[in-house]
Amino acid sequence: MSDAPRLDGVLSAAGRHVRVAVTLVVALLTLAGTLVGQDDDFPFGPFRMYSTRDDPNGTVVSTRVEAVTRDGRVLVVDERATGLKRAEVEGQVGRFRADPTLLRHLADASARLRPAEPPYDQVRVVERRYVLRDSRPTGEQTEQVVASWSRP
Amino acid sequence: MSRLLSPAPVARVAVLRLVVYLFVPVDVLLTTTWVRGHAQVPPELYVPLRIGRLLPLPTPGPWVEVFQVLLVAAALAAAVAAARDALPRLTGWLVALLYLEWMVVAMSYGKVDHDRFAFLVALFVLPSVGRASLRSRERSEAAGWALTMIALAVVATYTLAAVAKIRFGGWDWVDGATLTRAVLRRSTALSEPLLDVPWVLHAAQYGILVMELVVAPLLLVRWRDERVTWLLALGFLGFHLMTFAMITIVFLPHCVALLALLPLERLVQRERVPA
Repeated sequence: MSDAPRLDGVLSAAGRHVRVAVTLVVALLTLAGTLVGQDDDFPFGPFRMYSTRDDPNGTVVSTRVEAVTRDGRVLVVDERATGLKRAEVEGQVGRFRADPTLLRHLADASARLRPAEPPYDQVRVVERRYVLRDSRPTGEQTEQVVASWSRP
Repeated sequence: MSRLLSPAPVARVAVLRLVVYLFVPVDVLLTTTWVRGHAQVPPELYVPLRIGRLLPLPTPGPWVEVFQVLLVAAALAAAVAAARDALPRLTGWLVALLYLEWMVVAMSYGKVDHDRFAFLVALFVLPSVGRASLRSRERSEAAGWALTMIALAVVATYTLAAVAKIRFGGWDWVDGATLTRAVLRRSTALSEPLLDVPWVLHAAQYGILVMELVVAPLLLVRWRDERVTWLLALGFLGFHLMTFAMITIVFLPHCVALLALLPLERLVQRERVPA
């Protein structure tokens, strides 16, 4: 250590080294996340919201979760009712397709989040596809139930 | 490297701490309420991230609701500490760690957002400055590093989002229909008419990519005329406001971090009358 008096606002050598090292590590992790990482690498994953490309002459999918309550009503339910956002349902839609009984857990979550409401006897994931031509919706739509669970 | 550590006003760090720590309760209780909902989601739908597999983090459950209260209390305590210029590291890093865990709870159910990277960086670097009084007139290298890190994180959120578009969407992302999809799924009264004028959305995709890739780095330039920084920062805040108006997605924590680029110290430094 030098004997020179420390100026106000000047970092020690150690303070500088630590900061430069932290900067490099964070920069490397962030860059690596962007170039080869996946969402799984949060908080260093790629900043990928809206990064995928949709075909201007293809279809656009919009997913919703429907529940049939014990008193027979069909509801479109969101995270306030099931704890899962639409994007989260879409993120796990492969799991729901492979094992629709997982949808039971949305009914369970709903019973906990809204104990005063009638329970769900059925939960289903519905995909609506909008057909585009030249990036414009043609008005043509199809709907498909991609996963469904009914209370036994 | 000299730029990384070049001195910056300590009072700006003090003001930013107040803003950031007071924003945490707003975020946790008002503007990102869905995280708390994960408390009631059965563990079968929990999809742990790498960080959740590497660290012994508990599976979210009803404890998340208690954790929310703890996080809010810690943030309020950090705000008080910042106002009184006491215990900045202890209170600040506690909030940073708790908020990171809150984010793990948020992002571990099948969807990861990228609107909080710069805010997380801010939470982790702000305590490193140590004591910072609202009345300080000093500049310090520690403050300079913290503010530069936040600025870098803000800019990286844009430029690396552009890189991600090229990586996942390809070079012709700009000629795709991504914004049509966005509006179809989350339309508002303001954006729905745009579905009939696809060239506007198409042009907006070019605008977004240019803005992210070319304009955002200009935030890092130290302009001779400070008004340029103001213009750029307000331009980006306006962009996020417009995004909210169009598809009800708002990068609120990111916008809070963006404030690090502005001379916040002026809020607390009244003109002194020369003796």
